[in-house]
Amino acid sequence: MVKKILSYIYIYLILLVTYLPILYLIVYSFTGATITGQWSGFSFKLYGDLFKNKEILTALGNTLILALIASLVSTIVGALGAIGVYYMKNRTRKIVESINQVPIVNAEVVIAMSLTVMFVFIGQKIFQGKSIFSFYTLLIGHCTLAIPFVYINVKPKLTQMDPSLYEAALDLGTTPTKAIHKVIIPQIVPGIISGFVLAFTLSLDDFIVTAFTRGPGLLSGEGQIETLSTLIQAKIKKGAVPPEMRPLTTFIFLIVVTIVIVRSIYVNVKAKKASKLLSLHKKRRIKLNEK
Amino acid sequence: MQLTSNDDYIIELKNVTKIFDGETVIDKLNLKIKKGEFVTLLGPSGCGKSTTLRMIAGFETPDSGDILLNGHDLTSFPPYKRPINTVFQHYALFPNLDVYDNVAFGLKNKTLPVAVLDESGNQVTKIDKKRIKQLLKQKKRIKKDKIITDKEKEERLKLLDEKLDYAFNNPVPFYKYRHLTEQEIDDKVVKALSIVDLDELEDRDISTLSGGQQQRVAIARAIICEPQILLLDEPLGALDLKMRKDMQLELKDMHKKLGITFIYVTHDQEEALTMSDTIIIMNDGVIQQIGTPEDIYNEPQNAFVADFIGSSNIYNGTMVGERKVKFLGKVMDCVDDFEINSQVDAVIRPEDIHFQTEPKEGYIEGKIVSKVFKGVNYLYVIMIGHNEVLAQTIKSYETDKPIYIQIRPSDIHLMKRDNNLNVYTDAYIDKNNNLIIGDNLFEVDVSKLVSQSRVDESGYVVTKDKEYDFTDADVTATIPTTAFLISDDTDGANVTGEIITSVYKGDHYVVLVRSEDEEDYFVSTPYTFNPGDIVGLKVDASSIKLKLRGDLTSYER
Repeated sequence: MVKKILSYIYIYLILLVTYLPILYLIVYSFTGATITGQWSGFSFKLYGDLFKNKEILTALGNTLILALIASLVSTIVGALGAIGVYYMKNRTRKIVESINQVPIVNAEVVIAMSLTVMFVFIGQKIFQGKSIFSFYTLLIGHCTLAIPFVYINVKPKLTQMDPSLYEAALDLGTTPTKAIHKVIIPQIVPGIISGFVLAFTLSLDDFIVTAFTRGPGLLSGEGQIETLSTLIQAKIKKGAVPPEMRPLTTFIFLIVVTIVIVRSIYVNVKAKKASKLLSLHKKRRIKLNEK
Repeated sequence: MQLTSNDDYIIELKNVTKIFDGETVIDKLNLKIKKGEFVTLLGPSGCGKSTTLRMIAGFETPDSGDILLNGHDLTSFPPYKRPINTVFQHYALFPNLDVYDNVAFGLKNKTLPVAVLDESGNQVTKIDKKRIKQLLKQKKRIKKDKIITDKEKEERLKLLDEKLDYAFNNPVPFYKYRHLTEQEIDDKVVKALSIVDLDELEDRDISTLSGGQQQRVAIARAIICEPQILLLDEPLGALDLKMRKDMQLELKDMHKKLGITFIYVTHDQEEALTMSDTIIIMNDGVIQQIGTPEDIYNEPQNAFVADFIGSSNIYNGTMVGERKVKFLGKVMDCVDDFEINSQVDAVIRPEDIHFQTEPKEGYIEGKIVSKVFKGVNYLYVIMIGHNEVLAQTIKSYETDKPIYIQIRPSDIHLMKRDNNLNVYTDAYIDKNNNLIIGDNLFEVDVSKLVSQSRVDESGYVVTKDKEYDFTDADVTATIPTTAFLISDDTDGANVTGEIITSVYKGDHYVVLVRSEDEEDYFVSTPYTFNPGDIVGLKVDASSIKLKLRGDLTSYER
């Protein structure tokens, strides 16, 4: 009994430590005080300010556009790569898989540095000394970060799949491209979706690679692309975190929580449906056997 | 090379070779299958039967050789262009589609030719672009072939060029292609489902079907496109025994109804005997025997086939006279004739052994050591000297009592034995006077090559008045099967290799060990080893016989 209580206390303590700061942030987003930690009465003032603050809105727009494009590109490249590697020879597959592990465990700063060096080099040698830093270098940076994660999300779905499915489709007259589209992709959709979500969140809060590889472009126009993380960093350098960030992060947190809740409800409902259908068929089979 | 082909043969494999990672899996396979036959490819796992099937289906391309369908080269056709469908080992049904859509899958990809007429109602003709593309692909394939001789390559390329010329200059009727209508698809799906007895399951999810039902869906899906050949890759492996027996008969029935050629792959000899018109027994990438089930059972061509099909007694025998063979320590009459003193394998089926409790003329005395009830009859193990004899009869006899058995001359099947000795004609002596076979080194006494000689300190073979240097001398080495000591321990072994086959010969096994450098060693051993085991062979050097190839005088110093 005591043991049980202790274990509960332990879990709730950890949950509290993780969620308390967020809770604190949400509470303090409903006050007008500009200094963090001060309470000047309940108000929606910061929410109003947020939608008037061009700087933050631009950064938010940049972040979302970048995250969307980067995660789409990484998902396509990563998923198709996983399919291709899956049907390679055993030895080649193992080599590719180990190479894929490196960026995952590698320090982000190393990736960021090496990308910068490469872009500078390319700019000097191929583009006559012009700087090539732009939205595209930033996109390449984010994709480099995300593709290995998409790959490791799709791979298990492929290994669960019957390896002869592709051959069965070819055998029944589909061309290789059509076979991938009609048979393999439907099997690995869950992996593709979770890979996409992971790539999206990775891009959303990335700072190091962004800071190293960004150039002018997107909503920032001629200026350096600011994303939320680079903006906050720039602000902290000069002074306090802008108070409008509090309602913004509250929004982000609420959106994420909603997605998680909706997804788990969906999964539960689907599982229930499937088990119901299965038991129905079982009952029918038993009845048939009795006859 | 013959290029004419008989109309009776639907599929023909000519000198087909397949190499995976430097290992020859299929070695110059030649095979002809008649239209409408039920053919079974039978063999232990890893014998190349599945690879053969996959090459016919188009999933693998041979490294050399041709696959002909109705006499036309099919080798460079991808699987989706072959009029051949497959039932996969684990069914490979599409889990995202229901039963109906799984069965209809092939039809949705199928197209039908529609004649194209010009204004005056004549068939439009055009140059056959597809055929030209195909011929160009064939040319590319033959150019890449590393196994056929340059002369053959040249001849075949010339022939293809002639065919190309012909195709360029002779337009053929031109067709457009259309997909099947919903109604046409529906009719065919309903018909296919009724053939496999699954009429009412159309809208069921694949995951809710039993193994047997999934099997039927897989068959319906494969036959709906009306293939010329249906390939079945161990399709009954995942079913339980009773289901399997039912499905065997049903498949046989389906084969009769559909009238198309079935090529069936299995490692289950009973399944092969029950279902097939023709059985092709394969081992180690090579066909061992082709024949009807009766032929294969009654007249096995070698010890491997005899051992693989049914249970059998196989003994080492020696011909001692005209139609007289000695084995089990007795001279017996037989119907097969071989040269006197030649070594043979004698095969006797367990059911051909006749029992008698009292001693009688021509009967051999033995002792029953074990008895197992098998339903209809009993299976006995009888010891005659050191040899075990398997026997099968309906009558019950007591164990541990003497018994007298008779084997009728017509029941003794003799086969020429070729694995009594290991002969290596490409062996040589290295500079340290070791024998080299393939990549393996054996310490031998090279003084055996010259009579009355010895080896001196510097490694030369000396006689009274002459000196020989046998460095790099080509020799023929002969090693008897009994000269090897075989064990799981590969440390310090002369040869490390994999067991390819193992055949029981009454009191010992003869196993074939293949070393990493692809040399074969036949080894006698009293112990059981399974194909695929990695073993080490130690050799008794004194029993290796050496014979110098070429003139002795050329090695004089």
